[in-house]
Amino acid sequence: MRRSFKKLFIAMLAVALVAVVSPVEAETLRLLTWGGYAPKEVIEQFEKETGIEVKMTKSNNEDMISKLKATGGSGFDLAQPSQDRITSAQADFDIYKPIDLSKIDASQIIPSMLAATKKNTSLDGKVYGVPHVWGTSGLVVNRKMAGQIKDYVDLCGPGLTGKVTYRLKRPTLIGFAFSMGEDPFAAYSDKAKYEMILDKVEKKLIDCKPNVKAYWSGGDAMLNLMRSGEAVAAMAWDAGGWKLNKDMADITFVAPKSGALGWIDTFALPRKTKAEEAAYKWINFVMRPEIAGKITSSAGNFTAAKGGDQYVADKLKAQFQESFPPADVDNIKWYPPVPPGLEEIEGKVLDRVKAAQ
Amino acid sequence: MPENSNVTFDLECRQVTKSFGDFTAVDQVSFQIPTGSFFSILGPSGCGKTTLLRMLAGFQHPDKGEILIKGKSVLGTPPNRRPVNMVFQHLALFPTMSVTGNIAYGLKRRNVKREEIRTRVADVLKRVDLPDAGDKRIDQLSGGQKQRIAIARCLVLKPDVLLLDEPLGALDLKLREQMKVELKLLQETFGTTFIYITHDQSEALVMSDQVAVMNQGRFEQVGTPQELYYHPETSFVAGFVGDSNRWEGHIDAIEGERIQIKTVEGESFVGRSIVKHQLKKGDSVEVYVRPESVNIENPKNRSDLPNQCRGEVISVLFDGARSQFLIRLPQTEGEISVAMPQTGEHAQLRKGDSINIAWAADQCLCFRRSSGNHDG
Amino acid sequence: MDKSSYTRFSLWILLLPFVLWLLLLILLPHVDMVSISLRERVSARNYTFSFKNYTEFFIEPLYWRTFVRTAWMSVLATLITLLIAFPVSYYIAKMMRGRLKALLFILCLIPFWVSELVRTYGWMILLRETGLLSTFLQWIGLSDQPVEMLYNDVAIMIGLVYTSMLFMVVPLVTTLDSLDDSLIEAGYDLGGSNWNVLTEIIIPHAMPGIVSGCIVVFMLSLGNYLTPILLGGKDSLWFTEQIFTQFITRFNWEQGSAFGILLLILSSLIVWAGLKLSRQSFTNVMS
Ligand SMILES: Nc1ncnc2c1ncn2[C@@H]1O[C@H](COP(=O)(O)OP(=O)(O)O)[C@@H](O)[C@H]1O
Ligand SMILES: [Mg+2]
Repeated sequence: MRRSFKKLFIAMLAVALVAVVSPVEAETLRLLTWGGYAPKEVIEQFEKETGIEVKMTKSNNEDMISKLKATGGSGFDLAQPSQDRITSAQADFDIYKPIDLSKIDASQIIPSMLAATKKNTSLDGKVYGVPHVWGTSGLVVNRKMAGQIKDYVDLCGPGLTGKVTYRLKRPTLIGFAFSMGEDPFAAYSDKAKYEMILDKVEKKLIDCKPNVKAYWSGGDAMLNLMRSGEAVAAMAWDAGGWKLNKDMADITFVAPKSGALGWIDTFALPRKTKAEEAAYKWINFVMRPEIAGKITSSAGNFTAAKGGDQYVADKLKAQFQESFPPADVDNIKWYPPVPPGLEEIEGKVLDRVKAAQ
Repeated sequence: MPENSNVTFDLECRQVTKSFGDFTAVDQVSFQIPTGSFFSILGPSGCGKTTLLRMLAGFQHPDKGEILIKGKSVLGTPPNRRPVNMVFQHLALFPTMSVTGNIAYGLKRRNVKREEIRTRVADVLKRVDLPDAGDKRIDQLSGGQKQRIAIARCLVLKPDVLLLDEPLGALDLKLREQMKVELKLLQETFGTTFIYITHDQSEALVMSDQVAVMNQGRFEQVGTPQELYYHPETSFVAGFVGDSNRWEGHIDAIEGERIQIKTVEGESFVGRSIVKHQLKKGDSVEVYVRPESVNIENPKNRSDLPNQCRGEVISVLFDGARSQFLIRLPQTEGEISVAMPQTGEHAQLRKGDSINIAWAADQCLCFRRSSGNHDG
Repeated sequence: MDKSSYTRFSLWILLLPFVLWLLLLILLPHVDMVSISLRERVSARNYTFSFKNYTEFFIEPLYWRTFVRTAWMSVLATLITLLIAFPVSYYIAKMMRGRLKALLFILCLIPFWVSELVRTYGWMILLRETGLLSTFLQWIGLSDQPVEMLYNDVAIMIGLVYTSMLFMVVPLVTTLDSLDDSLIEAGYDLGGSNWNVLTEIIIPHAMPGIVSGCIVVFMLSLGNYLTPILLGGKDSLWFTEQIFTQFITRFNWEQGSAFGILLLILSSLIVWAGLKLSRQSFTNVMS
């Protein structure tokens, strides 16, 4: 008994030592990012060029914030939250570090996107994010089986019992609000108004529940449901729709009538990043047009890199054009930064929707 | 009632046989037990006693044969409906119940009224001399007390037959001696028929009215303890019940009941044959002589017993009432045990002394030598 | 130092690693959780002491109902597991001998060689609309269209029972194994029916195993996350999911901690009530 405790103790000590010692050993970049944003090929090329080892952790918006919150902003050297989720998290938890824009090669980035992201990720005059990958979320529809679906509310239409799937997350609330004729983004600053809108959405989502096959949480679960035909329409990202479209021509991404929701994933520095220089090197590296092209091919979404799309396969471009006629591009609703406090209200709405029978 | 309504047998077995695969554990066993008697089955470990008892209790089904209780076949009756109860080898008292709970268990199964259960439990506890043990847990009882509760638990149900499977096996020697007497007294006061199995001959001899000696699945002999001891019918019984000196040899001559035997070692004995063995001259035989039937001869006053030897005391085995001399017969180097008379006579004999010994022809039992069929 | 205080001292030295482990890995995190659960966010990076996170649980019917539902489903899962595991364990412990017994026991273990996630996905493959069972039902003609068996309470129950089976079978087999066959025979011999023997002899003997199995299964079900989420789908409503949501997607550690503490307290209360009802003591069950 005692011996095994001793072993355990020594093992724990060893683990602690390794954890303390290892970061100084070789230069590594610990990247907290989305699936597809750092393909193997790109990592290998970066490692060859710079000698910096890249350790990639797949994540999503909430997970990134949780992880960084838990450590007070350490454990990772570079994160990729969506631009609208940065300021509120920074205000509440102080997990990021301002970006030194002088170290970013701005000439590689589409100016309008850089400007928009700078504006949206500023807090107290400091900039916390630069743009990387952008895309939209909207509808993924099996056109043969549910061609009538043109907007989010159509998911709740007749004849679709147990046939649709979406997430129980804030984009669903926002999307439904728009398709019900409201402008939730305009109400961001007016809490009362916003709550009223969410009330309406809540009722709609509860009424809609019989149509829901499952609330998906991982992208793969959604892809499976659509591919097997168990679901005929989903609220999802454009890239997912195009991925399905490659194998099954009937399924594709549809920009909803009320507008697809546009998001931009950024680069942000965790407050206790240990490899800041490496992080800037990575940012400038992946913004090179040919690297950006590779990332687009792997993630399925376009980047903010100037000239990046010329390295993208024609198929994806065609899919994009099919899903987004010019008018629809203009109609994209870009997420403004979420003011603090809104997410709590949204959380309760989502809980109630989930609990409703 | 069936044809034999005048029977007073509580239990009767007819040609009961039980095999496990190729192995016959109980082989054509037949016996009858009169009401109220204490019947023991005595045999070495593995001879099939437990199997036989379990067939009586209903936990095993005979392959062949018939079991009758009070004249009625019970072969179709499951264990919980047979009018017999069993005291298990390790007693099997229910540890999750109190003493009262254990004794009341069987009564409750018979839907006896609460009031009556209480009086009957109290009554039986008094009769096994543990009137205050009712509220105790089983693990608070001593070995002997457990014994009595296990018996009380069965007797309170007034079974026709009580089966006991080596219940004293787990007790230490002193307690065992004491429980032997107690069991016999209990059986007498309750008047219930007991079937008691054991491998300990002294238990069987002390308590029983009748003893069956069992060997390799068969009954060798059924009789009173005295009959078994003094008139064994097979060499197995002669060897198993009580101590014996044993020789092998062949028959030299036969004169009526008396026969002349020559042992392998070269001794000549005069013995008696069991009538049903029908020995002939030249047959191979086994000869048994009990240590206590050998006389130590007084040199001045020699008897006229037919078997006379002179030998040397090579060892004095003192064991109180069971003390023996070990004596070597010089001409053949053979040895013989002789009981030390309890009268104090010959108590001065020491190792190396020479003495004369003698025994009667009737005390020298001859059986045909073979391991199998003794009856043929 | 006299002798007794010396032995007490060495006892403490021996216990030290255990006490440290208890303190550092069990107690401290909970103390931290309690302190987090007792604060309320006023504005960014500004908190005050408050019981709001606890009152929230009782005020907001959603949380309360979710807990009651989780507890109730866990109790049900425990009972179903017991009902299935008891005959299985009895069979393994009392009817089987030697190699066959070990084999059967291993058979119960096999599902636990793969992770819970894989096991749950296995059930999803079986139960989903385009899954094996649905296809089979259509094939034998019992149904003329795909049947969805996933995403309902029955699916959750199946998953929970399946996941819990081992934790019930092991203590049951162990206690039933220790039940002397002659006690069962004595039960019959004294006139008991099958039912009497079961209720008066086998179950009282197996009670410590039953209760410890039930406690483990209940706690496992209550604390399960994957199974209810994956198999229950849109209506899973599991309390651990609520805690996860508070911590991970809402970043509301205050509420999440309060829920965690409440789960600990309420489940302990339920276990305590269960022990009282079955008249077992905790030490008795765990020894
Ligand atoms: N269920 C059984 N299966 C196979 N063999 C058995 C079984 N029960 C008993 N035997 C065998 O039958 C023989 C007699 O056993 P048993 O009746 O228990 O003997 P005893 O009680 O006289 O010691 C033994 O050799 C034993 O191995
Ligand atoms: Mg036996």
